Amino acid sequence: MTTSLMINGEERSLTCDPRTPLVDVLRNELRLTGTRNVCREGYCGACSVHVDGKPMSSCLLPVGTLEGRDIVTIEGISQGDKLDVIQQAFIDLDVIQCGMCFPGMVMTLRPFLRDNPSPSRDAVKFALVGNVCRCTGYERIIDAVMSVVDATEVTE
Amino acid sequence: MADLPNRLERPLSVAAAIAALSGKTNKVVPVAGATWIMRAGSRGEKIDGTFVDLSAIPDLSDIDVAKDKVSIGAMATQDVIAKGLAGHADMAALMMATGYTANPAIRRAATIGGNICTADFAASDIVPALLALDAEVEIVSPDGTSLMSMAEFLSTRRSLGRAVLVTRIVIPRRLQASTHSRITLRKAGDYPVANLSAAITVAEDRTIRTAAVAVGGVEPVAKRWTGFENALIGRNLESGEFREIAGNYTDEFEGRDDTGAPGWYRVRLLPALADRAFRFLTKSTA
Ligand SMILES: Cc1cc2nc3c(=O)[nH]c(=O)nc-3n(C[C@H](O)[C@H](O)[C@H](O)COP(=O)(O)OP(=O)(O)OC[C@H]3O[C@@H](n4cnc5c(N)ncnc54)[C@H](O)[C@@H]3O)c2cc1C
Ligand code: FES
Ligand code: FES
Repeated sequence: MTTSLMINGEERSLTCDPRTPLVDVLRNELRLTGTRNVCREGYCGACSVHVDGKPMSSCLLPVGTLEGRDIVTIEGISQGDKLDVIQQAFIDLDVIQCGMCFPGMVMTLRPFLRDNPSPSRDAVKFALVGNVCRCTGYERIIDAVMSVVDATEVTE
Repeated sequence: MADLPNRLERPLSVAAAIAALSGKTNKVVPVAGATWIMRAGSRGEKIDGTFVDLSAIPDLSDIDVAKDKVSIGAMATQDVIAKGLAGHADMAALMMATGYTANPAIRRAATIGGNICTADFAASDIVPALLALDAEVEIVSPDGTSLMSMAEFLSTRRSLGRAVLVTRIVIPRRLQASTHSRITLRKAGDYPVANLSAAITVAEDRTIRTAAVAVGGVEPVAKRWTGFENALIGRNLESGEFREIAGNYTDEFEGRDDTGAPGWYRVRLLPALADRAFRFLTKSTA
């Protein structure tokens, strides 16, 4: 069985077992290792990708159910060398520690800020309830998000 | 990697799905949001069998809020249901059970059908909400379509057979208020240690006319709390004695032990959950 889908704007035909979680296909077959494979239980958010523009946990998505869908991974959101505004803010404010959670945080935040261009601090926290960080204590992440809240580049 | 045939089928109609489920000798598994199925490894199980993916079947994901009933397709996801029910006080229990549980990415994937069909999932928030709202479950099998009460569905779901699909949930609308409360050990993403859904109708003098209360998480399968329900009839909502009344009826439950919490602790939470729910209802019906 072949599954055809778009990944980061490129059409892909996958012949692996269609029950394979998308995260394994991304990392092991397509070498898109920015998507993290951490809890594999839908709990931590580190494996978040966009499916038709919405953040989903790729550890729980059997790839065969994604026929015809449009997938964007963390590798697909920067414009060449120009990082996404949220990625850049995380670097500029020196927020990242081990980095395990950050791709997922960016994938959650990007559509959130597109739909909520001026969120409150609490709204940002609420948006991130499904993204676990074991290192930072979250407050600096929220600081970085609030620093880009009015940035106009957050589009998709 | 070699092509592996027949590991996943994507039927385009309920009839084709039933045919796909019944026509096999090997294991076949209906797949909705896959959020339970894909966690097989964490339960010490294997992902196996042919997946029959229900996501390409039209008309299974809609939600129709009419005057006399709410009808929800089995493939409607938690976030769609929560949005669809927002602002309807009678449906608040289900709105809360779908909109404030799990996490946003899971709410976009997990379906109402997948939730209630997971017989091993004791801590479901959706099941007690549907019990309290007197929901009915539409089932399609090779013999046809039938409708059964939520309680009947819960007691028969393990023995319904492999070629049976839940296709729709139907909830009658009443002039009632409802709510759902839950207690977790930590916060986001946790299963509840215990949860409680309640739906009441109230007379003009603020006495409770009818009460439906269902408890989940405490026993292996959620159930109605009948002693407490009966004791509520005729009580004035403003009396505020709900914690005490609930405390008189906790012996209806035998708590289940697991690594998350001991059974006695789950039972002990019930008066607090009842108190929380009835404080909410006192305000929401004022
Ligand atoms: C991190 C996390 C936290 C969660 N927290 C909560 C919570 O607090 N409260 C809560 O209620 N839920 C919670 N959930 C969701 C819950 O645990 C289940 O994962 C979910 O409800 C399953 O729905 P699904 O659509 O993904 O089902 P699937 O995984 O697709 O299927 C589950 C089972 O139902 C069967 N099935 C599915 N649809 C049908 C159908 N239409 N007819 C017949 N059989 C069918 C499947 O064969 C399978 O046996 C959480 C999930 C995660 C990952
Ligand atoms: S790896 Fe998918 S949610 Fe943690
Ligand atoms: S930086 Fe280490 S988990 Fe977030």
